Amino acid sequence: MRHANVVSGVVLAVVGLVMLFAVIPWQIDPGPEGMVSPRLMPSMMMVLIVALSAVLIFSNLRRADTDAPEPAMPFTWSELAALVKMGAVFAVSLALYLFVSPLAAGAGLVIGSLVALGERRLAVIVLMPAVLLLAIWLLFYKVLGTAIV
Amino acid sequence: MEHLIVGFQDVLNPATLFWVAAGVTLGYVLGAIPGLGKATGVAVAIPLTFYLAPAAALGMLIGIAKGSAAGSAVSAILLNTPGEPSSAPTAMDGYPLARQGKAQKALKMGLFASVIGDFVSTMILIGLAAPLASYALLIGPVELCAILLFSLTFVGGLSGRSLTKGLIAAAFGVFFATVGLEAETFIPRLTFGMLELDDGIALVPIAIGMLAVAEMIVQAGNIKALDVESAQISDGASREDRVVLASEWRRCLPVIARGTLIGSVVGILPGLGASVGSFLSYGATVRASKTPEKYGTGMIEGIAAAESADNAVVPSSLVPLFALGIPGSVIAALLIAAFILHGLTPGPLMFKQQPRLVADVYAAMICASLIMLVIGYNGQRLFAQIIRVPLRLIIPGVLLLCCVGAYMETGSVFSIYVMLFFALLGFFARKLDFSFVTFLIGFVIGPSLELTFRQSIQILDHQAVNLSGHPIAIVFILLTLATVWWTTRDNGRTAASQQRGDCGQTDPTEAETKHIKKGG
Repeated sequence: MRHANVVSGVVLAVVGLVMLFAVIPWQIDPGPEGMVSPRLMPSMMMVLIVALSAVLIFSNLRRADTDAPEPAMPFTWSELAALVKMGAVFAVSLALYLFVSPLAAGAGLVIGSLVALGERRLAVIVLMPAVLLLAIWLLFYKVLGTAIV
Repeated sequence: MEHLIVGFQDVLNPATLFWVAAGVTLGYVLGAIPGLGKATGVAVAIPLTFYLAPAAALGMLIGIAKGSAAGSAVSAILLNTPGEPSSAPTAMDGYPLARQGKAQKALKMGLFASVIGDFVSTMILIGLAAPLASYALLIGPVELCAILLFSLTFVGGLSGRSLTKGLIAAAFGVFFATVGLEAETFIPRLTFGMLELDDGIALVPIAIGMLAVAEMIVQAGNIKALDVESAQISDGASREDRVVLASEWRRCLPVIARGTLIGSVVGILPGLGASVGSFLSYGATVRASKTPEKYGTGMIEGIAAAESADNAVVPSSLVPLFALGIPGSVIAALLIAAFILHGLTPGPLMFKQQPRLVADVYAAMICASLIMLVIGYNGQRLFAQIIRVPLRLIIPGVLLLCCVGAYMETGSVFSIYVMLFFALLGFFARKLDFSFVTFLIGFVIGPSLELTFRQSIQILDHQAVNLSGHPIAIVFILLTLATVWWTTRDNGRTAASQQRGDCGQTDPTEAETKHIKKGG
């Protein structure tokens, strides 16, 4: 985790500095004179984040000087693979939403995630999205009496 | 008391009771399934309550939180895998009892302890919140700003294993809360020209993304390990193995009383959470026992201690929310969105402005406790079956509900983008130990913090010396500094002990993680 802490500290410090010196001045006007600037709170938070990131980096670098063994990485390959797979499933669902229909997007999300998680039984892959979408339709359109889209 | 009677009149009708019962049942199921939990359940369910009456909606959400806290004992006892981290100590004695053919006895004691802890803690909430709120009305913006700062630091220091990371998460939470039109000047902040961001970022898609979607992705990465176990209630031959005997009640009642007290106190203090409560209660029971060596082999008192404290945390964690408007837990932060949506702004003024709705909430909470007893008692075997459903069949349904919930918040696909952005952030926050609890609490109290800070600057006339006229604020600033010093020292010790390879059992988060990983 020490290595991960140093890397995340560096990333956060860079993000904080970019926000502080580029994004905040670009995205927030200084505001009228005599009033507290709208930039104040976002800038304060970014200064805090940069300072704390520096603390995170240096405290972990100092700890790394000892001979203690580095613990395991915070991620496992299967978790990263799941992140990529689920990201792809969401991307396909959003494309279906934008170019086909919300119903297709819902079915795509359920089928895609079932397949991504290793389900191979055709009956489950066909029936599950049908049952879930029907249940959602019943709940919102009939029980709660409202439309979703 | 008059208001409470009116509250019961509002709640004791079939429609409201149905939704409270639905919430408790849903919560019980979510709590029982490892990987899902009350935060996920409440986050996903908030949009479902948009079209319900306030009493039914709030009752349902509170029912989910309560049911989930109780339901997590089911998988802890039957699978040795806690449904939620706070039930890890329940597994220590619950699973050995189940292996001895006393699963029903263990489940019943878990349920009874949960209901008693929850009910008593609800009474503490009812008794404490209003009197505390009357004092809270006496404090001004300077004091409130100091209290908010203290709460955020306290939560940041205790929610994770590193104060630095906790504070970074809190700062990001406050930062994201500044997106949108600024309240005084109406100048857009960090909207990048997108009209959807003018009103700021909605809490619901953030919460669904960070809590539910991120958790589902993490679970998807560990799905093989979680699907291996299967649960079943193996009954012993004799009646004594299936019921809680009078002698066991006599042994457990003092334990439940102590656990309820510990859980209630832990709940009131912001940021500690149910895991700390259940581990403290279990530890106190072991220390108080004449036969501590027997714990871990199937002592029913162990279940009573852990479950009573675990469930007592939920209602009492609403005390700071109701009295001061400050969320002390992630559930409280989520409930703020639901309360506001249904016309109840948490804080000291709600007792004067909306006494009837407050009474409805109290009545719904009491009803939820009793419904939990009925549903938990009669549904034991059903819940034991539900936790056998593999996660690969549950995750797609949860993801679909997440998308529907986020979409319903604004009726726009933009909310789904927000949800996915924060899911990614939540995933990395989880894995790198940046507390998403602190982030969410920072996001929720961000607007109040900014407003009171701006007011304080004007009240103090830009001079820090003028703080001397605000002793309460000084006390809380000193408490904030003390918290920073204390948690930094504590974190340093934990880090040092980790380097020595000696994690010990002092850190509940560490202990429960180890317990879950090794599956017993």
